[in-house]
Amino acid sequence: MVNTCYIPKTLEEALVLRKEKKAVPLAGGTDLMVAYKRGVGITPIFPFPVMIVTHLDELKGIRVEEDGTVVIGALTTSVEIARDERVPYFVRMAASKMGAVSLRNTATIGGNIGNSSPKGDLPQPLILLDATVVLQSIDKKREMTVDEFIIKAKKNRLNDDEIITEIRIPKPDYTYGYFRKIGTRKANAISKLTLSAIMKVESGVIKDFRASSGAAGPKVARSREVEKLLIGKLVFDLPSLVEDFVDAWDGVISPHAMPEFRRATTKNMLRYFLLECAKLPKSGIIE
Amino acid sequence: MSKIEFTLNGKNVVYDGDPLRRLVDVLREGFQLTGTKEGCGEGECGACSVLKNGKLVTSCIIPVGSVGGDEIVTIEGLRETEQGKCIIDSFAEGGAVQCGFCIPGMVMASQALLLTNPHPTEDDIRVAISGNLCRCTGYDLIVESILLASRKGEGLW
Repeated sequence: MVNTCYIPKTLEEALVLRKEKKAVPLAGGTDLMVAYKRGVGITPIFPFPVMIVTHLDELKGIRVEEDGTVVIGALTTSVEIARDERVPYFVRMAASKMGAVSLRNTATIGGNIGNSSPKGDLPQPLILLDATVVLQSIDKKREMTVDEFIIKAKKNRLNDDEIITEIRIPKPDYTYGYFRKIGTRKANAISKLTLSAIMKVESGVIKDFRASSGAAGPKVARSREVEKLLIGKLVFDLPSLVEDFVDAWDGVISPHAMPEFRRATTKNMLRYFLLECAKLPKSGIIE
Repeated sequence: MSKIEFTLNGKNVVYDGDPLRRLVDVLREGFQLTGTKEGCGEGECGACSVLKNGKLVTSCIIPVGSVGGDEIVTIEGLRETEQGKCIIDSFAEGGAVQCGFCIPGMVMASQALLLTNPHPTEDDIRVAISGNLCRCTGYDLIVESILLASRKGEGLW
């Protein structure tokens, strides 16, 4: 068995290879190289053609558009995302807690979304913020939310002639925010459970509320319907609304392993965030 | 098969073969640089850490085809520099080494830290080596030895 591997020098070349050879992009390799490893001294064998895209500079870097949308190139690494203050807090936090330093130097945002693991660190805050993913083929470009893109564990809507080129994050508008990743240790941990949430408050009224749960089902869980239970309500009334809300959110997540832990802990985190908001603290991140 | 050109410990080298071969295997078997160790083989333990353009990476999950044009430094290259000698001497002086298997990776992680932060706190050090597992020491003597290196090597970074 021999690998078929290409190393395109430009995005255009990569798009042609993608269309004609159906080559699968390998960016950092932190997922693919592990998935197909065969042991010490033995070259991994891939059952599909691969193209190494690590050096496509066209897909690197972060820019901010006039309306505040943050655009992150698909090959931008977690370290680069974590240290860029222009990137929304939730995404920076998730990037900074992904694996260890060496992994964060290698792993890319495009790869993390393309891998579509429910435990992936970045999709969770991206889905909270209604971020979109841009998919490009040699003929056309399309855009959809990360929430639409990821169907379930390891399944997404990427066509076999497309490459993820960039991720677009609309400027978030919130009064209070919350991010929590639970792993088995402080660093170098795969998420056991994650949650992020934002609330916008105006004159004591909840104008917007969103939450997203990671590692609590086959994909990141959000429910606009359940979020609506709080929108339009008074912050002052949160203590009396909290229990009904966390019970409703319990129906949104569908953890497979350790469901009691994941359900109870998700409720605890949401309850904590909402009750802290009810105290109307100074705006910002609630830790 | 394709030709991959990169810089290895300051020298231009050419690899000719499957670009999906793991960098750690190219280093150890192709270039006989056996200072880089392999532990877990999945980027979790840090034993295979090397520097790629000055940044710490785990060579067991990097295909050699992704390092074309890059500068790779292994423990064999680092130990020839003043900075590398300072870290290695401090590890010896500080009693950081027991079985030694994790140490080349630990030294590379120390170098990656000191390159960006020449005066790290204990917390900075613990974060910087959080991807390098050591099953012997309990880390304390390694952390102290990196602190020692930052003091003894004042001005080197």
